[in-house]
Amino acid sequence: MLGKGGKRKFDEHEDGLEGKIVSPADGPSRVSYTLQRQTIFNISLMKLYNHRPLTEPSLQKTVLINNMLRRIQEELKQEGNLRPPFTPSSQPSDSLSDSYREAPPAFTHLTPPSAHPCDLGSTTPLEACLTPASLLEADDDTFCTLQAVQPAASTRLSAPALPPEKDSFSSALDEIEELCPTSTSTEAAAVAPDSSKGTPGESRIQKSEGPQEGRTDDSRLLDSLPGNFEITTSTGFLTDLTLDDILFADIDTSMYDFDPCTSASGTASKMAPVSADDLLKTLAPYSSQPVAPSQPFKMDLTELDHIMEVLVGS
Amino acid sequence: MAGAGGGNDIQWCFSQVKGAVDDDVAEADIISTVEFNHSGELLATGDKGGRVVIFQQEQENKIQSHSRGEYNVYSTFQSHEPEFDYLKSLEIEEKINKIRWLPQKNAAQFLLSTNDKTIKLWKISERDKRPEGYNLKEEDGRYRDPTTVTTLRVPVFRPMDLMVEASPRRIFANAHTYHINSISINSDYETYLSADDLRINLWHLEITDRSFNIVDIKPANMEELTEVITAAEFHPNSCNTFVYSSSKGTIRLCDMRASALCDRHSKLFEEPEDPSNRSFFSEIISSISDVKFSHSGRYMMTRDYLSVKIWDLNMENRPVETYQVHEYLRSKLCSLYENDCIFDKFECCWNGSDSVVMTGSYNNFFRMFDRNTKRDITLEASRENNKPRTVLKPRKVCASGKRKKDEISVDSLDFNKKILHTAWHPKENIIAVATTNNLYIFQDKGN
Repeated sequence: MLGKGGKRKFDEHEDGLEGKIVSPADGPSRVSYTLQRQTIFNISLMKLYNHRPLTEPSLQKTVLINNMLRRIQEELKQEGNLRPPFTPSSQPSDSLSDSYREAPPAFTHLTPPSAHPCDLGSTTPLEACLTPASLLEADDDTFCTLQAVQPAASTRLSAPALPPEKDSFSSALDEIEELCPTSTSTEAAAVAPDSSKGTPGESRIQKSEGPQEGRTDDSRLLDSLPGNFEITTSTGFLTDLTLDDILFADIDTSMYDFDPCTSASGTASKMAPVSADDLLKTLAPYSSQPVAPSQPFKMDLTELDHIMEVLVGS
Repeated sequence: MAGAGGGNDIQWCFSQVKGAVDDDVAEADIISTVEFNHSGELLATGDKGGRVVIFQQEQENKIQSHSRGEYNVYSTFQSHEPEFDYLKSLEIEEKINKIRWLPQKNAAQFLLSTNDKTIKLWKISERDKRPEGYNLKEEDGRYRDPTTVTTLRVPVFRPMDLMVEASPRRIFANAHTYHINSISINSDYETYLSADDLRINLWHLEITDRSFNIVDIKPANMEELTEVITAAEFHPNSCNTFVYSSSKGTIRLCDMRASALCDRHSKLFEEPEDPSNRSFFSEIISSISDVKFSHSGRYMMTRDYLSVKIWDLNMENRPVETYQVHEYLRSKLCSLYENDCIFDKFECCWNGSDSVVMTGSYNNFFRMFDRNTKRDITLEASRENNKPRTVLKPRKVCASGKRKKDEISVDSLDFNKKILHTAWHPKENIIAVATTNNLYIFQDKGN
């Protein structure tokens, strides 16, 4: 039973998810309900943002997943957990709602990078960060794609991390494999290091409800799932970059638009995919010294320097 | 219920199977739509590769044969090609979403086929005679030297091997920003509608450069979008009436006489949610994947993820009949959400007399519900039951607990083997059931 420190088998967990909504009032079932909701939330985000189809994604599917996210966000709101936007020391329960607030722009054709910067550690009100979709949708014919996803959303989501317990790590890995079949499993492995490096400054954002140990397995799930978003984001961003390159071949200023978040996402995409071993390495020492938030930026500066050298040299 | 069930004790037998035998499914061969024509003589299928294959029923002597004629390939043609939208850097799939036949007016057959963006009117005509005996041309078409012509003759038509030609007569393009999910021919046989996620357009079959928008649910701010159109159909008898279904489980009936833009419905069909069945996935499973009027026009049927509902057009607040297709999946919704199966769009169909309805499920199962006897049956489309005239054995899924012999447990269902498309002959008990890349034809044993 949850809350007693016993390790739950995946099957039981699965049943808990599949079952009907339990009344939020009960004790342990409240936890199960929250877990259920959390997992569904993450699956939904993964669906929305971890998808790079060659053809336009199904609008119906997007709408349904979006509605799911909104509903969960509404619930979270009603539970009175809405707090001021993210600060490193704040309680995390609103992280989901915060991240979700950025999700609705899934319908916008293109989210400019300028929308991102505030989210990595600032306390700017959320409204200032959101880009009004009305500005982005050019005309009636613009079909809303799922391309540009704010990396901030992903970085926030990867925050809910708990100290790993090495004895249950492999089982968590199995869970990840099971829940994220085929295409996503390698991506999860590839991106998790990005997320852990990219969100080091953030605290262990946890939901206030529920005992920690009971959620260990799931939290690792939560760790890896949202991590997928970064690569997707950056790939989407890269696509836009390429288009710019084609259109303005002689004026390649895109690399020099230094924007912390833009760079962060751009950098992330340049990282090579890592193996499951690296995943182990990055997740295991989570309790050790976190990587400084500025590290991605530092790396980006190095990249810029390198590019400058190349250009000047040629 | 053993052996019989699902419509006046019909015993369904395997008749034919079309398509590749091997398990390796080529993506282009995936069947995406199945449709009988109005007489039932022709059966059209569309696939993911943009091809249309039409089968024709052999006209057998009914007195002597036990079963009705077999369906053999009549015509195959490439209906749609893949395209590229340069503005959005995205491909436009050539997959045929829907085929609808026009009623036959002359010797040729006409059908509408559509992919995500473009509708085409195809003419399928036969040629079984050709003129022979020209004076100035040889039989192979080369011109003869006029000086060698010594006698004159009148060319005559002689029989030739049957040639079936398909030619595109109209192309209705550039009218849909979103993906077309339905086309429906009006009972006036002059107009038809096409529906995408947010809009429905009305066309005249003769006019390709213009269409009228009759429904538009696109919000001013796309971020406010919470509902899309999932299917639409014209009433079989009233040329001014059509319905469209939504992702929220509602059906709206519209009257085109009321206004040019039918954004305000005449009737709204919606069943209140059952509070005991509420879950995170309530909305998703309520999304209607198909809507079909009965032949009589008095009822309509809707298919959502777990059930089939029959609505009386005169009663809006709830369906008159509800049939559970695979209720055992209700406890698996989270997994099905995760692997995307919950978004599968199952179609449904009526039999000719509106007494039985049919729809597909997973594991290559399909279900039939007899509205009169209230009995239902589950059958399987598989190559194991390949012997013609062998009665299909009813299947049963065991939801939980002790599994009886011959039952299949929910966990061993193959969710990759889904039957999304089924069709029922308009007059006879012949059904066409599409698995991923095969088309099965079943017939009633006792004829």
